Amino acid sequence: MNFDANTIIYLLEIIVGGLLVGIGVHFVPVGGAPAAMAQATGIGTGTVQLAAGSGLTGLLSAGLMMHAMSLSPTFAQDGYSIWPILLTGAVGAMIMMDATMLTGSWIYAYAVGAPFASAKVNYDPITMFSQPPYVAPGTVGQGIPTVCFVSGTIGAAMGGLGGALIYFPLVLINGNPAMSAIFAIGIFMVDAVLASWNIQGTIEGFHDPKFKKWPKAFKACLISTAILAVVAVLITPLVGGV
Amino acid sequence: MAETVKGFKIDPKKLRIYGLVGSVVGIYLAYILNSVTGTNIFSFVGALAALFSVVWGANAVRRVCAYGIGTGVPSIGMLSLGMGVVAVLFGLSIAEQMGIGLLGVIIALVYSLIFGYVVGLIANRVMGFNIPVMEEGLTDLSGAGTLAILGWSFAISGSLGYADIVHSVINTGFLAIIFICGGLAILHPFNANLGPDETQDRTLINGVMVGGLSTVATGVCALMTLGLAAGMVQIVVGFAVWYYFFVWFFRLAKRDASAVVGTGLLPPTVQ
Repeated sequence: MNFDANTIIYLLEIIVGGLLVGIGVHFVPVGGAPAAMAQATGIGTGTVQLAAGSGLTGLLSAGLMMHAMSLSPTFAQDGYSIWPILLTGAVGAMIMMDATMLTGSWIYAYAVGAPFASAKVNYDPITMFSQPPYVAPGTVGQGIPTVCFVSGTIGAAMGGLGGALIYFPLVLINGNPAMSAIFAIGIFMVDAVLASWNIQGTIEGFHDPKFKKWPKAFKACLISTAILAVVAVLITPLVGGV
Repeated sequence: MAETVKGFKIDPKKLRIYGLVGSVVGIYLAYILNSVTGTNIFSFVGALAALFSVVWGANAVRRVCAYGIGTGVPSIGMLSLGMGVVAVLFGLSIAEQMGIGLLGVIIALVYSLIFGYVVGLIANRVMGFNIPVMEEGLTDLSGAGTLAILGWSFAISGSLGYADIVHSVINTGFLAIIFICGGLAILHPFNANLGPDETQDRTLINGVMVGGLSTVATGVCALMTLGLAAGMVQIVVGFAVWYYFFVWFFRLAKRDASAVVGTGLLPPTVQ
């Protein structure tokens, strides 16, 4: 491998990607098992599943954009340009997360019959609707209120952006999309799990008091992604092509 | 009616040695058998080697998760395999570049143990988990995840060469199957057995049982990469492992249950 200015840029891109994933997890309204029983606010599954889902969709859409770019007749001169790839990754992850939240909401609203309410704030910061009257006794909120939906979309955008930011330099380094995707998933899992440990499994979004703990996840993801990134740039293309 | 069932209780330190040595020796044994005989029929030994690391990892999961980590047991299994997949790719690639292809297993293992320890330190110091066995547990998990991925990768590719593994495991996407099936074998046992009456032998036997099913899955993949004979051998071995340990697990579950009663057939039998 050649260690030059590009390597440092790749390193930084991977580290920033990992940090985006770690912080993005804090925005996603994760309710865990209680939310699956409509006894807590958020999406009824774990952080890792949501982070992995949005990250993988982000990777897929970023890969699609890279493929579309390589079909361009002027690709030989232009090469890849980074911004469309990152944006496609972010949009792909946002679509996945919004689809999950929307269909989940239908089930909460029409099948479970629960009013959407957050137990962490008295007024929804976006719609200004009062929340406590709608919180059923013995629960900590139900469904996905507007603020959680918005927060989840922001989180998914950060996750997708982070995933694409990890994936893109890896493809440039080792020239193997499959290996880059697997490697990106590995980094993604580590950061998502560390972040989900930081929020102890459940969070409602940026209005949740637990959101203030994000600097801890920032530090943790910084250290762990740095170790992973150093390793990632050492992997070279296979001799003789893929 | 109490049927005597073979149970066991193993010290975590001993189990770590068994997992580590069993897996590494198993992977190299599979490699030697394959290269001496010039076939790929012994690739299933790699899958059996992965079972040692599964037991090691499942025991680490039950030690750490017994403290309660707040995010559910699956998260730690995915973390283990996430660390493992990075370590495997790095180890094999670096070994190939340095021209010592066979030592890739050792390099991957050493890197994963160090990284696991660092993540454990982060979890305790930065996140403030204060779980005494966190560093130890994550070191174990990281190593177990790495060896499990390596073992099953060998079972699919039949070789330890970087190029072969990239070609037949990564480019085909079979690594995703190893990732999830291997992750299940490590995280599912404690997830399924947790509770105040959780016992070590029942949890670990469950791990081997799921590992057997994962071997069946990698056997199906091997049908495509290694051909009919090697794939079928692996499927049969995986099924045999699953069946033997399923029966054992069933007995242990009956042993630990307060009572075993028949519910009758549906509709309920009239007394």
